[in-house]
Amino acid sequence: MHSKTNLKITLMLITVIAVTSVGFKVKPILNNYDNFNPNRVYKVNYNYFFKSANKSTTVKSFIPKSNSRQRISGEKNQSDSTLSFTKKIVENGNIRGTWDTENKNTYHTLNYEFTFEGKERRYIIPNHFNLISRKYKKYLKPSENIQSEDERIHDLAFRLAQNTLNDKEVIKNIFDYVVNIPSAPIITLTDALTTIDQNRASCNGKSRLFVALARNLGYAARVKGGIILENTNKRTSHVWAEVLINETWIPFDALNNHFAYLPANYLEIYAGDEFLITHTPGIQFDYSYQIKEVNHISFLKMNSEEIRELSSISLWKVVEGGIIPKNALNLLLLLPIGGLLVAFLRNVVGVKTFGVFLPVLIAFSLLHTGFVSGILMFVSLILLVGLISYPFDKIGLLYTPKLVISLTIMVGLMIIATMIGLEYDIAWLTTLTFFPTIILTIAAERFSRATVEDGYKMAIDKLLQTLLATTICYGVLSWSWLPSLLIIFPEFILLIIISAMLLGRYIGIRWVEFYRFKPLFS
Amino acid sequence: MFSTIIPMKSRKKSKVIGLNERNINLIYPNNPKKHYPLADDKVLTKEILHQYDIPCAETYAVIEYNSDIKKAWAHCKKYNTMAIKPANGCGGGGIKIIRKDLDNNWTTSGKVISEREIFQYMAATIMGFFSLGSHDRVLIEECIEPHPFFHEIYPQGVPDFRIITLDKKPLMGMLRMPTDRSDGKANLHQKGVGIGVDMEKGTLTQVYDGKNYYDHHPDSRFVVKDVPIPYWKEILEISVATAKVFPLNYLGIDIVIDKIKGPQIMEINVRPGLGIQLVNKEGLKESIQKTNK
Repeated sequence: MHSKTNLKITLMLITVIAVTSVGFKVKPILNNYDNFNPNRVYKVNYNYFFKSANKSTTVKSFIPKSNSRQRISGEKNQSDSTLSFTKKIVENGNIRGTWDTENKNTYHTLNYEFTFEGKERRYIIPNHFNLISRKYKKYLKPSENIQSEDERIHDLAFRLAQNTLNDKEVIKNIFDYVVNIPSAPIITLTDALTTIDQNRASCNGKSRLFVALARNLGYAARVKGGIILENTNKRTSHVWAEVLINETWIPFDALNNHFAYLPANYLEIYAGDEFLITHTPGIQFDYSYQIKEVNHISFLKMNSEEIRELSSISLWKVVEGGIIPKNALNLLLLLPIGGLLVAFLRNVVGVKTFGVFLPVLIAFSLLHTGFVSGILMFVSLILLVGLISYPFDKIGLLYTPKLVISLTIMVGLMIIATMIGLEYDIAWLTTLTFFPTIILTIAAERFSRATVEDGYKMAIDKLLQTLLATTICYGVLSWSWLPSLLIIFPEFILLIIISAMLLGRYIGIRWVEFYRFKPLFS
Repeated sequence: MFSTIIPMKSRKKSKVIGLNERNINLIYPNNPKKHYPLADDKVLTKEILHQYDIPCAETYAVIEYNSDIKKAWAHCKKYNTMAIKPANGCGGGGIKIIRKDLDNNWTTSGKVISEREIFQYMAATIMGFFSLGSHDRVLIEECIEPHPFFHEIYPQGVPDFRIITLDKKPLMGMLRMPTDRSDGKANLHQKGVGIGVDMEKGTLTQVYDGKNYYDHHPDSRFVVKDVPIPYWKEILEISVATAKVFPLNYLGIDIVIDKIKGPQIMEINVRPGLGIQLVNKEGLKESIQKTNK
C-alpha cells in the first residue's frame, strides 16, 4: 500500500513539473503565433559575378514578393558598394531590381538575400469559367514566342477541345497533351511552335506551348517564372504557366505534372514571358542561386535562435543538430502518441485490432501513400495474403514456417506491385513498400487464422475495427502541428506515460461492453 | 479520474464487470502469472487433480516425445474409446475423440482413421501445431460419456458446466449446451447456448443464445426453468476442492457429468470469460456481494 502512495505522489509531482514547464513556454508561443503556417522555409541568395563593360553597366533581376502562398522577408542587398541598387514595380506587377555601376572594366559581386516561406496549394477548378474582363485581354494576344494564333496551334487547340463537355476538360486535355511531350534539358529558348516541331521540350517550351494553346481557345494565360527551391546551389530557374480562372491565376506545371497545384518549394518570382536576369550585353557574367533550407516551426513567427532561447527544455537542438533527419524525428515523437491512442481505443472504447501497434504503423504509412489509396492497398494486401495462406493453413503446416511463407508472399506481392507501378507509371502502386512488411504479414496471418477459428464474419469485423483504429490514428497523426508541438513541448512525452498509467488502472466498462451487456443494464 | 471523460457516468452503479475490471481486480491480484501453466497445461492440471483425488477423466498416457508414441499407443489401444488432446491447446482446438467401431477399426467423427494417421496427428501435436509453434505434449485420456440428463435437453455433443470461483467460493455457474448450429461444441462463441444456474437451489433458470433469452432449448424445446441439476451438491464440492488445491484464486472450472462416475473436472481456466453474466442476467459484482454476505 505504501509503495502505491509513493508512486501516486511521484506521478503527481511529475505531472506538476511537466505542466509548469509547459506553462512557462505557452505565453511566448502564443505571442509569437503565426497564422501563415508555411510548409517550407528557405534562405535564398542571388549570387551574380560580372566584369563591367567600357561604359556604364547594368544588371537587372526580378525580385520575388509576398502573396497568399509565399512570404518573402529579410531582404538584404549585400552587393559591393560600387553598385547602386534600385527596385521598382514594372509590368504585370513584377518587381525588378536594378544594379548600376559607372566603374569600367572592374569585377563586381552582386548578392541579394531573402527568406522564403512557402505553402503548397491545390486549387479546385470549376467546370465552367466566367468570361474574362476587359483588363485581362492582353493575356489572350499572341507574342513572339507564344504564337497562339498560328494555324498549327489553332489546329492542335481545336483538336484538343473537341468532344469536351466543359472548360475544365479543355484545360485538362491541353495540359495532358503538353505533359506527354517528352522532357529534354534544352537550355536554349524554345518557342511554342518549335515545341510542337521537336516534340521535346524543357520547362520553357512546354509552358509557352501550354499558354499558346490556352490563349488560342480564349483562356487568359501567362508564363510564370521562379525557382524550385532545394537545399543546394543551383543555376537553373524554372517556368510554368498560369490560367486565369474566375479572377484567380491558377498554376499549371506541365513539366513536373502539377495540375492546378503548386508545391511548397516553388518560389514565384515574376509573371510574363520574361528572363529572370538581364544585363548589359557583352559583359562577362556568371551566377548561381544559393539555397538553404531553414528549420522552422510552422505556427511560430520565430527564427531558429529565438526558438532555441525559448526554453532549455525543448528538442530544437536535436532538430538543428540535423543528426536525426526531421522526418525520422517526427515519426519517433509521434509513435508514443499513436500508441496511447491505440491503448485508449482498445481499453476504453473496446476496439479490437490485429496487432497492437499495427494501426499506428499503418497510419504512418498512409502519410506517405495517401489515405484512400493507402487504405485500399492495406485491405487488399491483408485479404490477398490471408487468402493465399489459406490453403497452407489447410495443409497443416507448423506455425513459424507458415509465417515465413506468408511473409514471402507479402514481400513478393509488394515487389510485383512496385514493378508494375514502375512499368506502367502508376504512382500509387510504387508506394506499397512504405508498409511495415513484417507487421502486415502477422496481421494477414492473424486474419487468415481468424477466418478459420471465428469464421469470415468475425474476421472481417475485426479487420473493419482495425481500419477504424487506423483511420483515427491517421486523423491525429496527420495533423501537421503535432510533431512541432512535441519538439517545443517534450514534456508531453512524460504526460503520455502518466496518461498510460491512468489508462492502465482504468477499470471502467469498455464502451462496446455497454452494448454487449445491454440486457444487464436495462 | 477517467470517469470524467467517459460519458456513461450514470451507469457507474452497475454490477457488471467488464474486461478491464476483470483483469485489474480479479485476475492480476488473484492469479499469479507464474502459476498460469497449472491451468493452461492440461497435463499439469490433471497431475494436481489426481494427486488430491479430485474426480476427473482417467489419464491413459502422456506423450512428450515422438519416440514414445508407439509405446504409449501399445498401452492405450486396449481401450474402446479415448480423447487425444494437446496439453496446451487453446479454445478446445486439437481435441480428437477416437473410438473402435464394430469391425475394430478406429473412427473419429464417424470416419475411419488409420493408426498411422493417429500417430501423425500426435506427432503434429507434439511439434506444436495446436499451441503456436512451441513444443507440446499429448494427453490421452478416458472419454467421458455425458449423463442422460443432458440428452433430455439436447441429445448431441458434450455439454459442460462452468463454475466461477473466487477465493475458493463458487460465485456463478452456467451450463453450456451445443445447438444444431454449433457443430457439437458447447461454446457460446461457437453458437452454443448458455443456461443460467441458480446457485442456491441448484436449478436451471433461462437459456441465452447470445442475443435472446428463452425458457427452453431453442432446438429441442425442452423447458429448463427450475429443472434441478443432478449431482449439484457434488459439483459444488469438487469445484471448491479444486479451487483449494490450486494457487489460483479466480478460476473458471469446467465440469462434465459422466453417466457412471458423476461430475468430473474437465479443465480449469485462469481467464474465464464474462458472458456468464449475461447468461445469468446478473453482474459478477452482485454475486460477489451475495457470496460474501
